[in-house]
Amino acid sequence: MTWMISTDCLITRHRYEKYSSSFLARAFSPDESAVNPQKIREQITELDIKTRRMNGKLNRIHSTQRDAIPALVDSIRPILSSCPSTIAALAVIIPAHQYWRWKDMWCNSLRTTVFVASLCHYLTEGTLISLKQTSDILGMQDEWKDRVALSAEDYLHGIITLVNELSRLAVNSVTLGNYEEPLKISSFVKDIFAGFSMLNLKNDTLRRRFDSLKYDLKKIEEVVYDVSLRKLTPPSK
Amino acid sequence: MTSNDIRDAFESFREELDEHNDRRERLIKASRDITNISKRTIFLLHRLVQESNTSDPSEYLSACKHAASKGREKLRQVQQIYASLKEELIDEERYWRYQKQVSPGLQEYIEALSFAWFLENGTLIPSAEVQKTLMGEDGAPYFPLTTSDYLLGVSDLTGELMRYAISGFGRLGGRSRASEVCSFVRNCRADFERFTPYMWELNKKQDVTSQSLMKMEDAAYAVAVRASEYDMSPDQLDQLVNDFLATASTSDDIDRDRDRDRYRYS
Repeated sequence: MTWMISTDCLITRHRYEKYSSSFLARAFSPDESAVNPQKIREQITELDIKTRRMNGKLNRIHSTQRDAIPALVDSIRPILSSCPSTIAALAVIIPAHQYWRWKDMWCNSLRTTVFVASLCHYLTEGTLISLKQTSDILGMQDEWKDRVALSAEDYLHGIITLVNELSRLAVNSVTLGNYEEPLKISSFVKDIFAGFSMLNLKNDTLRRRFDSLKYDLKKIEEVVYDVSLRKLTPPSK
Repeated sequence: MTSNDIRDAFESFREELDEHNDRRERLIKASRDITNISKRTIFLLHRLVQESNTSDPSEYLSACKHAASKGREKLRQVQQIYASLKEELIDEERYWRYQKQVSPGLQEYIEALSFAWFLENGTLIPSAEVQKTLMGEDGAPYFPLTTSDYLLGVSDLTGELMRYAISGFGRLGGRSRASEVCSFVRNCRADFERFTPYMWELNKKQDVTSQSLMKMEDAAYAVAVRASEYDMSPDQLDQLVNDFLATASTSDDIDRDRDRDRYRYS
């Protein structure tokens, strides 16, 4: 096993041998010194710049008429398709088999990227993007799945952010005169909520964020209620 | 994805998350057991060393060796648990995933093991020796020992050594042993310091080590100051204290003995 780090230090009772500097070198080489957290951070910053730009653009969905949405999504796609190169660069830095060791550093950025991809997918297709589709968009490769990959947990976090955002969209689309959208969002989000209800979540952030989903659901339900009460919805086909 | 696809997808997520959580729970439970056994081993070692009420250095040394072998015997329980966890941790990817669950127990184990090692050899256990206790008969490690777990484990040793030194203080030869332990811990503190930039947790442990060191230094100071009042060699002083303790424990009238001793030695 090449990744084992051997530290041989011997301290004698009477003659205390100082660790030689080679001890330090042995202890942190070659594997541990090869990973420079600074380099990982550089790539994550790169990814963050992209996700933030996309996020900023996506904020305009709340003030964009339905027919102008495709153009808005198209303006995001070039940035989204540039994400794989950053992720691939990250995969080069991470040593083999050490995905779980470093993933905490980038999981937030990755979750935001999942959110952006899922929102774009919803806006164009009206359906939920799958885990496989998301990792394909992010350019995840099977051959480096032990270094960088999209875990189910990160995907689910991104989806929860999507629901959070859609509850806002339900409100704002009504303001823009689109009464159909809340109904679509409602049935879409219900499917997702049913899915989450199937999971046995332990008391972690995913669980807490799942708990927040019911407020989004409630908010969307209220919008649907308001809209249908006033007969603003188009007659069902 | 249609509604049905979403159902299927979440079903597979459920399986994945359940498997992960179950394994995590198993490892946490095992880690807790390991911590318990290791803690008990440390108490056992302290007890055995203190019980050996001997003034003869070679007898004392063999008592230490005896304690160490008893301790190692008890730690075999831990090794069996690690052997049973082999399947859970064997692949490297998993090891990193569950390191947070494994580390606390492992560090406690290293602490107990290093204490037994110190009693026997008077040295710091090399990491290779720790790894040797964590491998099957075929020589394949149950899991690889990382530098950080090793360092954080042996860093805890200093606290036990402080307890060991202070509790042996009142005994014959205890003070010279304490000063050896004190300089050993001082060297540990000095040498671990350079690793702190790599390991945040080590910083906290270094603070604890510093406190232990200060306690020992204060005790040594008190002895040095008081000893200077008497014109005697340390051995004679030891003998004096020892004689006093021996008579005090047999005599009902401690005060009288103390007065007599004071008269005799002043």
